[in-house]
Amino acid sequence: MNFLSIFKLTIPVMMGYIPLGMAFGLLLSKLLIPWYYAFFMSAFIFAGSGQFLVLTLFASQATILEIGIATFLLNLRHTFYGLSMISTFKNFSWKKHYLIFGLTDETFALLKTTEVPEANRERAYLLITFLNQCYWIVGSVVGAMLGNILPFNYEGIEFSLTALFVVLSIELYKKNRLHKPFFVALLIGLFGMILFPPQKMLILSLCAAAFVLIVFKRSMENGK
Amino acid sequence: MESSYIIGSIAVAAILTYVTRIIPFLLFRTREPSPLIKYIELNMPLMIMVILVFYALKDVKWERYPYGLAEIIGVCVAVLLHVKFKNALLSIFAATLVYMILIQKIL
Repeated sequence: MNFLSIFKLTIPVMMGYIPLGMAFGLLLSKLLIPWYYAFFMSAFIFAGSGQFLVLTLFASQATILEIGIATFLLNLRHTFYGLSMISTFKNFSWKKHYLIFGLTDETFALLKTTEVPEANRERAYLLITFLNQCYWIVGSVVGAMLGNILPFNYEGIEFSLTALFVVLSIELYKKNRLHKPFFVALLIGLFGMILFPPQKMLILSLCAAAFVLIVFKRSMENGK
Repeated sequence: MESSYIIGSIAVAAILTYVTRIIPFLLFRTREPSPLIKYIELNMPLMIMVILVFYALKDVKWERYPYGLAEIIGVCVAVLLHVKFKNALLSIFAATLVYMILIQKIL
């Protein structure tokens, strides 16, 4: 895969990360935190909702211990992503640590659905992860520096991330041998969205999904 | 806000975020993943992706006007276009555009 085709894959993430990053940067500047911390956070944490959470905790003067516990619990869902990447990353060089570091919701989604010949898989994955992080950093720094002067009304552009997840769900549905997990996940997602508190919705739904997947392994594999 | 507090928090958040991402790789570094782990590895991504769709919609106010109509239409546009044309960029662009027009100009 050449640069252009990889870049094209990441365009939906760019459309989501730049405005979302700007929103993050704007919030950071409202807390009167210098703009370069937006760069440090996006460069070293690189977790969308995690970084928003840290800002919220800054605002309420939480202790560093509380910040640590909260980010850990919020990002625990990434453990599921890694679980799906073990064999993929297995034979990669030390550079896989950057891939693991950069395993956000959106990067995971792209890596899991991109078909790359094995020979240049590592390079392609590194590039996808790096481009995604660049979008996020650019968005957050620009937001922190001049979030108030907006070039146009981009309200709603973050829906591209929702649409990305929709499209990738369809792709994975077509690729997956078993189809029951899809319908189970639809139910869990729907109920999770309605019943679970928004901040805990993702981790609770993922645990429920893993639970059903394991406990009902037999019936999942029966039929199709 | 003191800079030592900000830097300390960023460092802690950065390290713990990385820990959540590396846990499974550490667990299965030496031993071969069991058939159960392989089964999870194979099927979990599809479930994660579907749940991420609902996660992305978690802040929609369904009980108040416009009752999440823009989101429902946006998702439908993405699904229909993608089933019909199988072009990811087209589906995502069109759905986002429709959504933006809906929330900015119509609803």
